[in-house]
Amino acid sequence: MDTKRIRRPILLLLIACMVLGILAGCSSTPTEQHDEQTSETVVTTGEQVEASEDYVLVAESDGFRLYYYEPTFSIKLEDKTTGAIMESTLSEEKDDGKNNKSWTGYMKSGIVIYAIIGTINTYQVDMLNSENTITTWYTENGIFAEIEFPDYGFKLGVEVRLDGDDLVVRVPEYTIEEQTEGTYIYTIGLFPFLGYTHLGEENGYMLIPDGNGALIYLDDKEGRYSTGFSRMIYGTDAGLTTSTTTSYLWDKLEMVTDPNNVIAPIFGMAHTDDELAYLAIVESGDERCSIEVQPNGVMVDYNRCFARFLLRDVYTQPLNNSNSGSVKTVESDRMHTDLQVRYCLLSGDEANYSGMANAYREYLLENELVTPQDCSYQTRVDFLGSEREEFLMGTTAVTMTTVDNVRDIYAELQAAGVQNVLTVYKGWQSGGLYDLPITSYKADSSIGGTSALTDLIQDSAEEGYSIYLYNDALLVNHDTNATTYNVMKMVNKRTFELEVNGEVYDTFYYLLPSVTNAYLTKFAQDYTDEGVSTLALAGITTTLFSYSSKGSYYSRTDTMGTFADTVAALTGSTTLALETPNAFLWQYASAFLDMPLGSSDYLYVDAEIPFLSMVLKGILPMYSEYVNFEANKTENFLQMVESGIYPSFYVTWEDSSQLIYTNSKDLYSLKYSSYSDTIIDYDAQLRALAEQVEGAYIVAHETLENGLVKVSYSNGIAVFVNYTENALTADGVTVEALSYKVGEYA
Amino acid sequence: MKRKFKRFAAMFLLLTLLVVVIGAIPASAETPYVTYTIDGYKNITQTQTAYLAYATITKFDDVAMGAPSDIQVTDDGLIYVVDSGDTNNDISPRVLVGTMDGELVSIIGEGTLVNPKGVFVTDDKLIYVADRDAESIFIFNEDGELVNTYGKPDSPLYGDTTSFLPIKIVVNDAGIMYIICESNTNGIVEISPTDGGTFLGYFGTNYASTSLMTIIYRAILTDAQRAKMVSNIPSTPTNLGINAKGLIYTVTRGDGDDTLKLLNIAGTNLISNTDGTYADTPVAVVAGNHDNVYVADQQGYIFEYNNEGEMLFVFGGPDDGTQRVGLSSMVSGIAVDTEDRIYVLDSDKGAIQIYEPTEFTNLLHEALYLYSKGRYTESKEPLSQVLEMNSMFDYANKAMGRAYYQEEDYEMAMYYARLAKDWSGYSDAFWEIRNVWLKQYIVTVILALVAIWIVYKIIKRLDNKKHFLDKPRDWYYGLSEKPVLTDISYAFYYLKHPVDGAYGIAKEGRANYLVSTLMLVIFIVEYVVNKYTCGFLVKTVMDGRYDILSDVGTVLVVAVALTACTYLMCTINDGEGTVKKIYTFFCYSLTPYIVLTPLVYLMSHVLTNNEVFLIEMLNIVIYGWVILLAVVGLKEVNNFKTSETAKVILLTAFTALILALLIFIVYVLWAQVFEFVSAIFGEAVYRLGY
Repeated sequence: MDTKRIRRPILLLLIACMVLGILAGCSSTPTEQHDEQTSETVVTTGEQVEASEDYVLVAESDGFRLYYYEPTFSIKLEDKTTGAIMESTLSEEKDDGKNNKSWTGYMKSGIVIYAIIGTINTYQVDMLNSENTITTWYTENGIFAEIEFPDYGFKLGVEVRLDGDDLVVRVPEYTIEEQTEGTYIYTIGLFPFLGYTHLGEENGYMLIPDGNGALIYLDDKEGRYSTGFSRMIYGTDAGLTTSTTTSYLWDKLEMVTDPNNVIAPIFGMAHTDDELAYLAIVESGDERCSIEVQPNGVMVDYNRCFARFLLRDVYTQPLNNSNSGSVKTVESDRMHTDLQVRYCLLSGDEANYSGMANAYREYLLENELVTPQDCSYQTRVDFLGSEREEFLMGTTAVTMTTVDNVRDIYAELQAAGVQNVLTVYKGWQSGGLYDLPITSYKADSSIGGTSALTDLIQDSAEEGYSIYLYNDALLVNHDTNATTYNVMKMVNKRTFELEVNGEVYDTFYYLLPSVTNAYLTKFAQDYTDEGVSTLALAGITTTLFSYSSKGSYYSRTDTMGTFADTVAALTGSTTLALETPNAFLWQYASAFLDMPLGSSDYLYVDAEIPFLSMVLKGILPMYSEYVNFEANKTENFLQMVESGIYPSFYVTWEDSSQLIYTNSKDLYSLKYSSYSDTIIDYDAQLRALAEQVEGAYIVAHETLENGLVKVSYSNGIAVFVNYTENALTADGVTVEALSYKVGEYA
Repeated sequence: MKRKFKRFAAMFLLLTLLVVVIGAIPASAETPYVTYTIDGYKNITQTQTAYLAYATITKFDDVAMGAPSDIQVTDDGLIYVVDSGDTNNDISPRVLVGTMDGELVSIIGEGTLVNPKGVFVTDDKLIYVADRDAESIFIFNEDGELVNTYGKPDSPLYGDTTSFLPIKIVVNDAGIMYIICESNTNGIVEISPTDGGTFLGYFGTNYASTSLMTIIYRAILTDAQRAKMVSNIPSTPTNLGINAKGLIYTVTRGDGDDTLKLLNIAGTNLISNTDGTYADTPVAVVAGNHDNVYVADQQGYIFEYNNEGEMLFVFGGPDDGTQRVGLSSMVSGIAVDTEDRIYVLDSDKGAIQIYEPTEFTNLLHEALYLYSKGRYTESKEPLSQVLEMNSMFDYANKAMGRAYYQEEDYEMAMYYARLAKDWSGYSDAFWEIRNVWLKQYIVTVILALVAIWIVYKIIKRLDNKKHFLDKPRDWYYGLSEKPVLTDISYAFYYLKHPVDGAYGIAKEGRANYLVSTLMLVIFIVEYVVNKYTCGFLVKTVMDGRYDILSDVGTVLVVAVALTACTYLMCTINDGEGTVKKIYTFFCYSLTPYIVLTPLVYLMSHVLTNNEVFLIEMLNIVIYGWVILLAVVGLKEVNNFKTSETAKVILLTAFTALILALLIFIVYVLWAQVFEFVSAIFGEAVYRLGY
């Protein structure tokens, strides 16, 4: 064949591609998709804060005074009863003089911005090292500062006010300006040093929202740690992160697991000697914000914590399929929401993590961010219905637990005195566990079919055994469902792929949020028409991403809105159990599934505390992660006693070795008969405990001197938990080794 | 209530101090790493957390570690850490002795040691320290007094020019020292304590591996060029350990696959990396309490193997920058105590990470120990608990199967052996079951056969007299007159008479696409059925795995390609065959397979490993026959001489190779074109912002 004849078709193909590309480019120019945020305009009194050499008093509440120092945009909080002080920026007295100009600027500035110029280089912009103009006005109970950095073309306004005893810091969306083309705001840190301490000078701790909750003490870390806690709220953005630097054993085994996601937008700082503390809640902009909690020794010798808002991120745009060429690109648009952090100031007896938990609970209830639910005790017993393994040219069902098996198991549990159970039925849908997405209410024939399932759900509900059908509303499996046009594309317009080490299916995709919405709505309609309404949602409850679709860019703010709307719409007709839901979905949950009991085991963490349990106990029933896969059962059980979280089991009728050729081969221990005794035993013990504290909140949690843990409830009941291998006595109560005691103790 | 809070705060602070002093952080159940094991098919699979990060020791009382390089834990729970010192922070070289609660017991060797790298403590509490820069082994007693010193052996066997830079040491019950010396490639130095140190010789020498390429290079390069090549010298072992029986474990980095070795008294390696589960960059090894051994990889992976060098667990991993308990930066030593707790020394963090075995691991250790001692029935109890926790743990399944076998419950033994892919266990159990069956039914079977034979004879005799079977017989013979059936029967005729048969195909119009294809289809069906449902003992694919599309595809592609290549070669060699004829004789050549495979299939279901050679023999017969038929067919159909046939066969093989190459090249070129187009498209997407 001569070369000309080959060339021509290629040329034609090329031209066709170009034309298509251009057409596509013309037909829809990129549009910025974001809901118009209702950014409240700041009302000033019109009076300007006068230039001063020192801090000036700008606001006062019942408990606190707020002072302001304009040149470095710094604040100081004073507890009116004790006179204790918290500063937002490093003072001259506490400056150890060890740091370079850049760090000094960082530490002595009330606002620190990172700028992106070009596509890769970032520059620190602060009040000391960058030229700036600042004008401050008084507002009703605080100040409003307009800050401009002419070198970078940045302009923004920050409102600082006392709202009752809360300090509220806000950057209204409308005030943010990026005037220089090509120079963008990357991140903004507000008061990154608020409440800082030097080495071990002060006693206290910082609260990190990892797992259920963890503390970093304010002691001298002697330079042991090179990094601190730095995690995006609601997890990393799958739409922006393209490469991961995971290391593999023998180039194939992923040995290291990911740490827990941050599900609540909070952090805290407590100075226990001064009895002054705050719990910070990121109220707006939380979807694009990371929590930074750094102990001393990480770069500088100060303990500090703050929220860092990510306005624009950098992503990798590959230019071909082999990834041999790519360019770094800045997001075309920034985040469009107010940036707002509320610091709940705590003093006296409340200046500790128990106080923080109480403050957060009150905040959630007041703002209706959680809806109080019936929290009476139920053991959670989940079932795996049907899976798939390869057979001939397709797949065949591996039936693990049929509807009739569930009836048998329920009968046995009931006979053993288990009054009620919450069940999440996984793998019930036609096609098995990984036939995703679920678009209609159609049960797999191998477990008994749709009508049998409906009967089961209705019959058992009468007995107090509630069955929630599991629906991962996020994942798509192309091997079972051809939905090419409905999958999520990353910001760089490449389809997002979730690769798993599966026996049958190895690649999953994310659904577009709008499609998730449509499918879920249809499914719920289908489902509730049959007279059943209990639904367990996963996937969208734990994941948040930016994406591009049809030439438009959608931010995490959009995704968050869609998910919240989707779930909110479902609450009308269904009762929802949510799997590890992010905080913005808590208000729609009737049960919180898979609440972590511990934390991610960071080296710098000094103590694990059941913080989220303390917040939600008595409002929202919480269920643990599966007990099956816990290696240390005793400790796990005691943690449930301590935190008031109800136990969860994942069981099947058949032996789990049946799953060996399915995607669920990692579920190595499921067989019901191995767990029936444990379920009945846990149910008896934890039910008795839960009945004593029914309807009560956890008001205090402490680890006593000898290691005994004491949890106090609002109804006067206290639970003592002994994790040690010796009997311990405190408050006149003796608790045996590895055991607990409940009663009315002062 | 308020007063209570104040008390809380005070107590809390006290606790704070307490925790800081101890320096140990309680671990939660959420581990930052996954634990894997290996299943019967040698696949790495996930399992329960085997060891939990239990505590981290960063200092003993107030004494921090400068540059820790080796660790040992004695039976009384004391931790010995060699600290090479840190001149920047004024830390002199020493051995730190402490407890797992972080208490300092003593500091040994300050002032004496120069740059210690290894430590070993004997049962009678003598502390041997290998000091590289002092070129000596120092021996201290429990109180820290220097008892003895050994320098470079003066034996001529040691080598005058060889330096003595000891870095790691173990000592056996007789006091014989096994010493790894830096840059000494002769092996482990073995020194007896008699006469102030007698050099016994080199032990467990690693061998330099010589690849084929090296040999070729050496043959063709000049001396000068050869001198420039990377010298091929054996690696020095990285570290060593000793087990209760006095056998030496060594780990060697860069020693091919066998990075872990278990050496007997003669220095012979007893284990090998057949499953590919040994560490890539091992730094330390220590024998466990249950005939097991632990290996630490520099990157933080920790491996546990059984006495045969088979992997039980791998866990841990490198710190991914999140600084979580249980992940390591740079491991330099490993130790284990009597409670099976593992101590991993991280020289980068200057910390000891302690891992404790979980309930699961403890049960497994107990079970495997009983099992290895032959106490099968006793081992069933812990084994069943292990399997209750993880029914896919194949070591437990295997042991369980063997235990049932001992108890003569062969059904269960077979069940567990199949789960564990324990072929020999399965075969033994199956043999017993078959034996029972045979004993029970052999008389019945023989009687039935005799009865059938008698009935057959009677019918035959009656038929001879009354001819009542004439009609069915006529119908049967009539069948073979029908065209397709005639050709089918011809295929079987070809089986027995290849020369005549091939002549028929060539000259008598016996070539037939329909029947040939039918033969091919039957072949494919038998091939697939046999491959996936034959007896477990001869099965070559994993249970539950099916890849039928590619099986069928492979057969078809081979059939088409072979026909095409042969035809091409025959035409240029004046062969007389047409495509049709060649295709026909190829397909007809498969008849031995078609006829005999059902027999193989049946046999695979009734034979055990003892008789499995029958199947292998039959397979040789089948393949030999098929090849014979194909060759004879080729010769006869084309009317070739023998030499021409041989030539055409070689040429066909060559053509097939060229064809494969061609397809590959076209594929690569096409991939390039595709890549180019998609790059343009990618660029367009980027520029236009769509």
